[in-house]
Amino acid sequence: MAKQQLAMLIDAAKCIDCKACVLACKVANEVPDGQWRNWIKPADAAPAPGPAPRAKARFQPGACMHCEKPTCVEACPTGATYKDPATGEVVIDETLCIGCGNCIPACPYDARFRNELTRKADKCNYCPERRAAGLAPACVDTCPTKARVFGDINDPGSDAGALYLRNQARLTRVAAKTDTRPNMYYLGDPGPGDWGREAVVPASMVAMKRSAPVIKALVGLSGLGVLAMLGRQLFAGDSGEGDHKEDSDA
Amino acid sequence: MPDTRHTLSRRDFFKASGLFAAGAAGGAALLGGLRRAQAAPAPQWESKFSACDMCFNKCGLIARVEDGVVKKLDPNPKFLKSRGMLCARGNAGVAQVYDPDRLKYPLLRAGGRGEGKWKRIPWDEALDMAAQKMKEVREKYLPCGHLFSAGTDLHSQFVGRFAEVYGSFNVTSHESLCLVSNNRAFLDTYGEVPFADVLNSKYIVMAGANRFEALVTPDSMDLMTAMRENGCKLVVLDPRYTKTAALADEWHPVRPGTDMAFMLALAHVIITEKLYDPEWIEQKTYGIEQLAEHVKPYTPEFAADECGIPAGDIARIARELAAAAPASMIYPGRRSSDYEDSTQIRRAFAIVNALLGNWDRPGGLLAARAVGLKGVPFDAPWYDENHEDRIDAGKVPMMFEHEGSFLVTRDCVLAEDPYPIKGWLVYKTNPMGTAPNRKKTIEMMHKMDFVTVIDIAMSDTAWFADLVLPSQSYLEREDPCSGLQGSVACACVVKRDPVIAPLYESRSCFDIMKGLANRLELGEYFDFTIDEYRQKQTRDIPEALKVMDRDGVYYNPSKVYGIYDGKIYKTLSQKIELYNQRYEQMGLDPLPRYTAPTRPDKSRFRLIIGRNALVTQTSTANNPLLHQLVPTNTLWINPDSARSLGIADGDLVQVASGAGSQELRAEVTDRIRSDTVYMLSGFNTLSTMQHLSHGNGASINDILEDDYDAITGNASMHTTFVSVTRKVA
Amino acid sequence: MPRLHKRHDRSDIFIHWFNAACWLLLLLTGVGLIQNPAIDPFGSGYPEALRNLVGGGGNLLAVHEGIGLAWIAGFVLYLLVNFKGARFFLAEVFAVSPGRDMAWMLKKMVLMTLGPKALKLLGMDPSLPDQGYYNMGQKAFAQASVVGGIVIAATGVVMYLSDRTLGAEASGWISWAVTLHFIAVGLVFAGLLVHVYMAAISPEERPGFKSMFTGSVPDGYAKHHHRLWWNKISAGEE
Repeated sequence: MAKQQLAMLIDAAKCIDCKACVLACKVANEVPDGQWRNWIKPADAAPAPGPAPRAKARFQPGACMHCEKPTCVEACPTGATYKDPATGEVVIDETLCIGCGNCIPACPYDARFRNELTRKADKCNYCPERRAAGLAPACVDTCPTKARVFGDINDPGSDAGALYLRNQARLTRVAAKTDTRPNMYYLGDPGPGDWGREAVVPASMVAMKRSAPVIKALVGLSGLGVLAMLGRQLFAGDSGEGDHKEDSDA
Repeated sequence: MPDTRHTLSRRDFFKASGLFAAGAAGGAALLGGLRRAQAAPAPQWESKFSACDMCFNKCGLIARVEDGVVKKLDPNPKFLKSRGMLCARGNAGVAQVYDPDRLKYPLLRAGGRGEGKWKRIPWDEALDMAAQKMKEVREKYLPCGHLFSAGTDLHSQFVGRFAEVYGSFNVTSHESLCLVSNNRAFLDTYGEVPFADVLNSKYIVMAGANRFEALVTPDSMDLMTAMRENGCKLVVLDPRYTKTAALADEWHPVRPGTDMAFMLALAHVIITEKLYDPEWIEQKTYGIEQLAEHVKPYTPEFAADECGIPAGDIARIARELAAAAPASMIYPGRRSSDYEDSTQIRRAFAIVNALLGNWDRPGGLLAARAVGLKGVPFDAPWYDENHEDRIDAGKVPMMFEHEGSFLVTRDCVLAEDPYPIKGWLVYKTNPMGTAPNRKKTIEMMHKMDFVTVIDIAMSDTAWFADLVLPSQSYLEREDPCSGLQGSVACACVVKRDPVIAPLYESRSCFDIMKGLANRLELGEYFDFTIDEYRQKQTRDIPEALKVMDRDGVYYNPSKVYGIYDGKIYKTLSQKIELYNQRYEQMGLDPLPRYTAPTRPDKSRFRLIIGRNALVTQTSTANNPLLHQLVPTNTLWINPDSARSLGIADGDLVQVASGAGSQELRAEVTDRIRSDTVYMLSGFNTLSTMQHLSHGNGASINDILEDDYDAITGNASMHTTFVSVTRKVA
Repeated sequence: MPRLHKRHDRSDIFIHWFNAACWLLLLLTGVGLIQNPAIDPFGSGYPEALRNLVGGGGNLLAVHEGIGLAWIAGFVLYLLVNFKGARFFLAEVFAVSPGRDMAWMLKKMVLMTLGPKALKLLGMDPSLPDQGYYNMGQKAFAQASVVGGIVIAATGVVMYLSDRTLGAEASGWISWAVTLHFIAVGLVFAGLLVHVYMAAISPEERPGFKSMFTGSVPDGYAKHHHRLWWNKISAGEE
């Protein structure tokens, strides 16, 4: 069996911008006041009276896209954020995250924030507690127009997998200046999909990455020095004794 | 499974680390770090069925309860009426129940009316006092000297029951501030108020409704399914570019108040082009000849001038509607508290539907289905010494007896005409916050000897009361059964059982009514439990209660279509009345006659109201969760109008009418016509015990003038003209 | 019995070995906390294995934090008990005589690795300039340890407080703390390798190594390795 890739498939054409998903997520995950794990972006189509053809308004629900190439993971020094090889989720290990914030600008979709209460990185996690209880993620469960389908897109037997296979050619994703290959797919026109910015790795993390080889080289050099000394001690014996008198008074 | 291994190794680590941690300086932090688990465990919650109460829809929900606390409200997937969904407000129900602003114990007014000085008193004292005051009012002003107002709630029937046994005919509901004119119009056309088979419709014209924002289940959900999956076409008429308009196939920014001209023009085209089914019309309707004659002058060109919609579009829409008939409709809508001829406007809607022949057929308008729930009758005592009728009786020709007209009643109370009303009991409705012309409601309060308000929060109505009693929220109380019509989705029964123990000293409305009845020697009329009441309600469907315990809902597998096959209509002609004979007898227009609405002069705007999916009027403006999405209300104003007034987006503006004036921020947007402005209701409450809505934004009911529909007394909330001026900072 | 000179008192010895033990554990756990292909020193296998061993990265972090706090507490305790000693140590360590000490350092490096012949080939005198209480090698490592230790402790505390008291506005500080913590540990570790060899493996410093247990060094060792100090104490004794 192919490995899992949990993903969200959203029929954006069904979204009525009612924010049920936004509030359901907030309550389910006890997200602090003023912070949100998901959103609906309205496409600002200018109102044009009359019949089609005219630009119809579109609403684009979004959240962490559990990317194939997650730039947030690259920005995390500890692996507290990682792509779970078993499910394809981008996971935050809250116990390991200390809230350094490196991953936040690293997400081109601004899906991450520092939770004011836990003080750790936060984002959509597909509601693991609910899934453990056999329920769909809160946003999927509550959606009035059932615009969302969640599941393993690599399993053709699942709703999500079947939908994914059937519509592969017309599914769209949000594009960012840094391509992260998101796993949030839109069926139906989600409106402008090129708003993703560049993934920004903070200067401190860049410094850490750049200094790492230098540090490794220094440690290596020091190690080589020690080896040289050890070698000299073991093989060259007391050849220097005459010139370098050690302890004549002993 | 890796999970098992993790669990084991974690447990082992606890043992090992305990020793280490004891000696470590960072011991506390260490344990803190260890407490968190890596794999997500399933929550230890109990799941309990209930029905939402964040608006009138009563969507089925499952409360997830942990240690007696509601953690989350989820949709009940088996609840067909709401299509297994719970909207944002439904999700925000937890914030209503646990709102720190909730009323906690009985409060007695300790200062002037509306001054906000309160004294906490025990329940017995509160009920003794309320009963004593009711007794005094009845003795002094006869039973009808007491007014009772109850909102849309399953306990409201007990207020009605109490009023009846107390002897007062004066009961008002919220409906005369909302939907009675629409109900009147359809009732007077079809003999009943229909449900729309949105799901199976192929062509829907939506005017005076905003289903993707003002959610109605299952219509809102079914509309999307119909459009996205069944290719249904949606045409929206709205002065605002609502989300419904934005998602429609066609949007026409109709001139407010001209919908009737549009509908009559549709009828004109359908009749002159013979686009209707003559056999069906002949069999099922009354008055096609009169209608044909009546609509002759209402050409598309005539309507175009009135509505601001091109005549070609109007004619085309008529043809498209007829081509899709009978699976096409003029969506009946709900809130019709808009104009002084709103019943006639909605009659025009009903008439076009009749021409489409969509009654009782897929994709059209459906009759009410059998639910199986029975009433619980009782013999109320008769009071010889009483007034003859309601205080508002006869002021408008076709008022609904059981709903009354709040605005007419208020005028009568102020004028003490034909008699004085000096006592008022209000349950779960907030006329101070929802009825136009707030100043008059305040005056009405001052007319009262004693006002008791039962609510979960200190609403503005409660703020002006003498006695405020804390009621239970929907998740804390036991409710009688309620029958719901879900269009094609279902006809069902729901009930509510407590999901959590009542908070604070809150009591259910039933308990309060029972307590009052006992003190007024009317105890025999409340000598039952809710459970016994439910048994009586479900006597014809004995399995219902058990099924509701299992599924959270009981469905009656009743007939959906063809209910009227071989049946007569409950009208004078026993047919669908295009031409209403009763109206003729009463001297009303038997066919809707169009009167052009007054147009505001250059310096003024028509103020219109409306909802969005995050707002249920005054009951949600103070909700801490919803507040984060709708922090205040703004005045929508068109960029052209704003420019001429020197108003920039976000400017503070003063909005003034003949009734009052309020200040709020301007939202300059091309989503509204230039002759119209719009704001949300519910904000700028007087009550300081609503922390988020008090002093925040503008109170719309302070500005709205109190005109009403000439036929039903329904408030007409789109007839106020306002001036808008920029406030200099 | 050779004449002995007292070099370390008991608190010095304690703090040295306490520090050594803490550093060892902190290094082992700390390296396990770095898991990013661009930086982790031994690849991702080590952190993975270590985390599994303790039941997850969170536990490892907790252990690391616990030891780190204990380490800081140990130093605070040391300063309370032997502030004078600490001040003496810092004064000695940071007193550098550029000409003599740099020459010592360079020559010593060549001597230890290539031998005296290399120096002779370069036309230099292979004999080393006299050194004081600490030789320049010891001073260099001690300086690195003191400065590095302070940086490590300070950044460690910032990181420890990050998810406990600090807000989002501190994110920049925390992120830089992570980086500085990493760099400081790396630099100190590079020095540590030499220190461990010189002190524990190299035979010539054996008496110095022993003194980290006994507290004293033999007179001859002091005379040859720390001539200036020997001069001073000898003068004092006379």
